[in-house]
Amino acid sequence: MLEIKNLHVKLADEDKAIIKGLTLTVPKGEVHAIMGPNGSGKSTLAYVLAGRADYEVTDGDIIWNGESIIEMEPDERAAKGVFLAFQYPMEIPGVAGLTFLRTATNSVRKKRGQTELTTPEFLKVVKDRASKLNIDFDMLKRPVNVGFSGGEKKRSEILQMAMLEPSLCVLDETDSGLDIDALKVVSDGVNALRSPDRAMLVITHYQRLLNHIVPDKVHVLAEGRIQKTGGKELALELEQSGYAEFQGKAA
Amino acid sequence: MMNVAVMKTKFEQSLTEQFNHVSARLPGGAAVGVARTAALGRFSALGLPNRRIEEWKYTDLRNALKEPLAVAVDDDTKVTVADLIVALGPLAHLEGPRIVFVNGGWRRELSNLEGAEGIEVAALGATLTAAQDKIGEALAGTTGPDNDAVLALNTAYMTDGAVVRVGDGIEVGKPLLLVFMRAGSEGRFVATRNVVSIGKGAAATIVEAFIGLPGSTAEGQHNSATEIHVGDNARVTHVKIAADTGKATHLSNWMVGLGAEAVYRGFQLNQGLGLARNQIFATYHGEGAKLDLSGLFLGRGAEHIDTTLVVDHAVPRCESRELYKGVLDGEARGIFQGKVIVRPDAQKTDGKQMAQVLMLSPDAEFDSKPELEIYADDVVCGHGSTAAELDTDLLFYLRARGIPLDTARSMLIESFVGEALDRIEHEGVREVVLDFARGWLSKLGR
Repeated sequence: MLEIKNLHVKLADEDKAIIKGLTLTVPKGEVHAIMGPNGSGKSTLAYVLAGRADYEVTDGDIIWNGESIIEMEPDERAAKGVFLAFQYPMEIPGVAGLTFLRTATNSVRKKRGQTELTTPEFLKVVKDRASKLNIDFDMLKRPVNVGFSGGEKKRSEILQMAMLEPSLCVLDETDSGLDIDALKVVSDGVNALRSPDRAMLVITHYQRLLNHIVPDKVHVLAEGRIQKTGGKELALELEQSGYAEFQGKAA
Repeated sequence: MMNVAVMKTKFEQSLTEQFNHVSARLPGGAAVGVARTAALGRFSALGLPNRRIEEWKYTDLRNALKEPLAVAVDDDTKVTVADLIVALGPLAHLEGPRIVFVNGGWRRELSNLEGAEGIEVAALGATLTAAQDKIGEALAGTTGPDNDAVLALNTAYMTDGAVVRVGDGIEVGKPLLLVFMRAGSEGRFVATRNVVSIGKGAAATIVEAFIGLPGSTAEGQHNSATEIHVGDNARVTHVKIAADTGKATHLSNWMVGLGAEAVYRGFQLNQGLGLARNQIFATYHGEGAKLDLSGLFLGRGAEHIDTTLVVDHAVPRCESRELYKGVLDGEARGIFQGKVIVRPDAQKTDGKQMAQVLMLSPDAEFDSKPELEIYADDVVCGHGSTAAELDTDLLFYLRARGIPLDTARSMLIESFVGEALDRIEHEGVREVVLDFARGWLSKLGR
């Protein structure tokens, strides 16, 4: 279970608070959506969960499986099962996709006390999972994300997620830059990973992703805190009414 | 400015004085003897280069090398084949003939020239002693600059090295390895010279390795020079691996002459050197030749690594490419000087130069000085230089995927240097260079 308690976050080198008292619980087996206007703190929340150093937690806590993670390094969190699918996956020139995937997969397996995959084992798994995401295997021989289209980058993120077998998946604007077909492939990939052992937090600005990845709960994030929580129908309401009613409130 | 007589340092004094004691034991006939004496005279007059000389302003040898050193002649330090294998490290697995020198002297028992088909290899000392004054004259008429004190010291004191010849049209598959090993408990001044001649339309890969025997003193100075003549239409890959333990001084000159339509690819790896100066002088003698110089320098602690290139486009329609990558940690200092001269007749010259450094520490320093001297009007020439830190966003991305910090850093550094390593065409040699670099990287932050 993910428990975010009264979380306050600011940029590490600025005093401006971005998240101001956010409280949220996501039990295992559930998918929760976070929706909100631009600048509400959605991406900040995603980065803080993954442990990006540019942000500083000034108050509150993040508990994952009963353990506070806010002091943990990003790789330590990944080993504990936290995975962030980036809104803008980065290009890594000179590092082949397969090398990257294998190093990442075996790093977390090692830390989780699992045996590392041998090259044939790894290749078998990666081929299988890549084909389910319509990823051409040859693409993985190329440097990570270099020259990939928006859709290819997002599918590559979901493949990484499938390989690392996380227990907490955070998807940051995974629908941005996707056409309808790509959206379906990516959503199917995510849905295939839904399981009773896994919690998911889907961050999105638009409702359309939630037609494909149907959430158990929807939270509205604005002004750095959760303003409203509801079922999947809340997403449809927001599509009609917009976020205006949650903005401009006194903090 | 007042003309002040400069006091000689102890090093300069000792190198001038030792000549009388050792010259009788240096190989070569009369012509070589004359060349040696003249070269010593030039060294005595010039002294070691210092910062007041433009080409040496970042690398003041006079200031850095003050301590006297005994010249290595007839060195008999005991080195076994097992020692050699240990010292070679990743190079031990490189398949091909090898010729081995210890402290500047040829070791027949450590060398293995079996399988050196199509390539003639001999030791320079023995060749000179056999009174082959033809080589002696070639040495006397060397192609390097005559005002270079480091090269003058080499000519004066060279004890040995490899004489390599590949006949016209012969394509040699396996790389030839020239090993120069530093061994023993006392630091020495060692001077070696290689003379390489690649025939018309021939092809060869030559690797020079400068390594230390583990357990030996870390001190010492190796002064090395290689003259290489690449015939018309010949293709050569020439790689230097200078990998030591962080204290030794490495002074090196490559003098490259290219025939028409020849392709020369030179690569230099520098790591674990206290002080290094790598000079390459390349001259085109025929049209349509291609030169590709690349390198990787890895520095930590107070190491100082200088690469200075002079590429002389003397004839039309030639191409030059330079790509150097550096990784600097601690207080290490890297220097890249790249001079490209395009003579008035050298129309249609195509030259590109790039030097890129990754700074792992705020106390590291990189000095870059590209120099284009263009006297022709129909040419394409460009140069660039960058110094950057590791990308923290990329580091976060890798770590968010569970990759530990050390591994993530190594992956990003490897990807940074990879572009330069890719310039090495011979796959086996490229793997060896990568292994050396990985060995260096694995000790980062420790």
